[in-house]
Amino acid sequence: MTWWATRRLRTKIFVAIAALVVGLLLATLWLVEQAVSRQAERSLTHELMVTGEVFQQLLAEREERLMSNSILLTGDFALKRALATYDPATLATVAVNYRERSGVDLLWILDEQGQMLADAAGREPAGSKAADRPAVAAARETGKPAAAIAAVGDGLVQLVAVPVLGPEMIGLLVLGTAIDDATARDLETRTGSSVTFLTADRLFASSWDPATRGRLVLPTSGGGVPYLTTLPSGRHLSLLVPVAASLASPLHALVQRSWDEALAPLRSLRRRMALIGFGALLVALGVGVAIAQGVTAPIVELVTATREVLRGNLEHRVAVARHDEIGTLATSFNEMTGGLEERARIRAMIDKVVSPEVAHELLARGLTLGGELREVTVLFADLRDSTAIGERLTPTALLELLNAFLSRMAHAIEQERGIVDKYVGDEIMAVFGAPLDLPDHAERAVAAAIGMTEALAALNAERAPAAPLRMGIGIATGTVIAGNVGSAERMNYTVLGDVVNLAARLQGMTKEHEVGMLMNEATQAALPARFATRGLGTVTVRGRAAPTALYTLDHPRSS
Amino acid sequence: MPRLVALIGIVLLCSASAHAAELRGRVVASDGTGVAGAVVFLRTPVPPPPGVPPKSAVMDQVDKQFVPRVLPITVGTEVRFPNHDQIHHHVYSFSRVKTFDLPLSKGEEAPPVVFDQPGVVKVGCNIHDWMMGVILVVPSPVFATTDDGGAFTLRDVPEGEVAIGAWHDASETAIDAATQRLTIGAAPPSDVTFTLAVRPDKARPAVHGGRGNP
Repeated sequence: MTWWATRRLRTKIFVAIAALVVGLLLATLWLVEQAVSRQAERSLTHELMVTGEVFQQLLAEREERLMSNSILLTGDFALKRALATYDPATLATVAVNYRERSGVDLLWILDEQGQMLADAAGREPAGSKAADRPAVAAARETGKPAAAIAAVGDGLVQLVAVPVLGPEMIGLLVLGTAIDDATARDLETRTGSSVTFLTADRLFASSWDPATRGRLVLPTSGGGVPYLTTLPSGRHLSLLVPVAASLASPLHALVQRSWDEALAPLRSLRRRMALIGFGALLVALGVGVAIAQGVTAPIVELVTATREVLRGNLEHRVAVARHDEIGTLATSFNEMTGGLEERARIRAMIDKVVSPEVAHELLARGLTLGGELREVTVLFADLRDSTAIGERLTPTALLELLNAFLSRMAHAIEQERGIVDKYVGDEIMAVFGAPLDLPDHAERAVAAAIGMTEALAALNAERAPAAPLRMGIGIATGTVIAGNVGSAERMNYTVLGDVVNLAARLQGMTKEHEVGMLMNEATQAALPARFATRGLGTVTVRGRAAPTALYTLDHPRSS
Repeated sequence: MPRLVALIGIVLLCSASAHAAELRGRVVASDGTGVAGAVVFLRTPVPPPPGVPPKSAVMDQVDKQFVPRVLPITVGTEVRFPNHDQIHHHVYSFSRVKTFDLPLSKGEEAPPVVFDQPGVVKVGCNIHDWMMGVILVVPSPVFATTDDGGAFTLRDVPEGEVAIGAWHDASETAIDAATQRLTIGAAPPSDVTFTLAVRPDKARPAVHGGRGNP
């Protein structure tokens, strides 16, 4: 599992496809192999069974042929007359003569009691008892021709015993054909199967070579059912066909057909299928590589793109040339980066329109109406005589000048972490302590005022010899409501309260007091000692019941 | 002297015939049923009277069968084999008692065959294997054939100690075993029973050689 978890996706897809294809291929090969091999086995078995039947028919035909030959022979009147002499010397010559005439391997002439009168081979002496020989006993019992397979001497002989009628049985003629290797080979030629005649303890005849004969074993059971035997010449399907015979132990014909030879076409088929399978495997592996590549390449591209975005390159886009899930993902990715880019652009714009702190506050708290009570310091700055300046300048030049003034003032305010609340013409309203918490908001506001004054001096120096610009700054510290003000659709972050009006009034009063800036008592009280302030008495500000103490910075540069 | 002998012979013969008896009885099978067509005969030879011409008998060939199928005759009887079929027959026998063959006679009469030894003669036709006849050659003219019930009447049985045998074509009982020694006097034994082991459907080898002589 660890291996699987740590592999590349491409490897996994490839391994999965390869495993699937190999599995399917092997399963198909196995199924086909099974079906074909079972079919081959069945047809071979069937052939062998048919051979077994044909084989028994051939044996029966041989017997019939022998029988009809014998019956014709026994009808010969000359034979009857010769037999009726019961003269062994004569009959010995008759036996030889008839054996030559009929081409059989064995010919006996017996009297009606079953005593040997003559043996064409001269092995059995005249007068020996043959009544209980196979076939003879049956022929004597029934008076009809009888057949048997029996061991005579050291060989196997197919025998028929036929009564000689004169007109009743006057003797018997016994004819036999040997079942020897030549017979087995003849049967092999006619049936296409190897044939062996054997009992449990003896092999009588076979179409096999001597080396193979030594390997033949009679199975202890399973007659009638084909079974596999391994012989020097390969595997053979064997069928044990019982042969009725008059022997001490049952005689069988072992009929065998080469299994390997029969399955040779199957082997060639298997080879061809393996070849085709191998080809299919290669194709499947190729397809697997292509599919894995097709899936992972866009993923790699997406990863690259993600890294680009992470680095801040929001303009990076993924090439989309497909309509599948991966295409959808790429499109979504592009839309996402597009969205991110859009948002970043808006954020940058917001930062320009509102101060970054307000933007942050807005983003953090969300755009909801309402506010909170805070103690802040509000700063108002205004360019004096701006109307007169406006008259001297073209509107474009005036705007340029205003922008230069306002941006330098705003810079000075932001230096002290104040926020520019709004520009009203040439007037600037700034707040310290909202939305950012600044414990030293009064001190910072005063520091900003000093910075502004210096910045204006620098601007004036740049504009020389033009008439220098002058401004007034009013600073008031007090409690305000800070928050979003406006309608649900359109709102501003601002501060509201008496302090705002006071700061504006103080700014207005700088001119008459002939100072650069004025602050209220709360501001002055919050300043550290390093700021030298000077009281300017109290005034009654419009709209305020209580008199207001005025302070200005005495030595602003001394800090 | 020979005349005297001849005279004594005639006297003896007359006295024999004068004192001849009639013997009745049955031939039965092992299960007690009567055996038809069995031959009961005197086994003691009775010399034929001199000068008497040999007896003659006929075994006909009708419709490819021997008629009669079983023909008992006295030794010395000559048998004719007339052919009443319109085809050839080839009558033969390989019996030791009398071996002969009368090749292919049609319409014509072959010379008669004289059977001069007692015994069983199986007669066949070489060209019709199913034709079978039996000629039983017995030592004396004293023989009889059983009727359908197996009963026989044996006439002219000489008085004194005699051997009477019973024979049937399908009998498996040896002739000696089917022979009874009887004393024939003023009152001959009545209801003599012979028992034969008969197997009607059994094919039986014809005996050859000395075996089975009556």
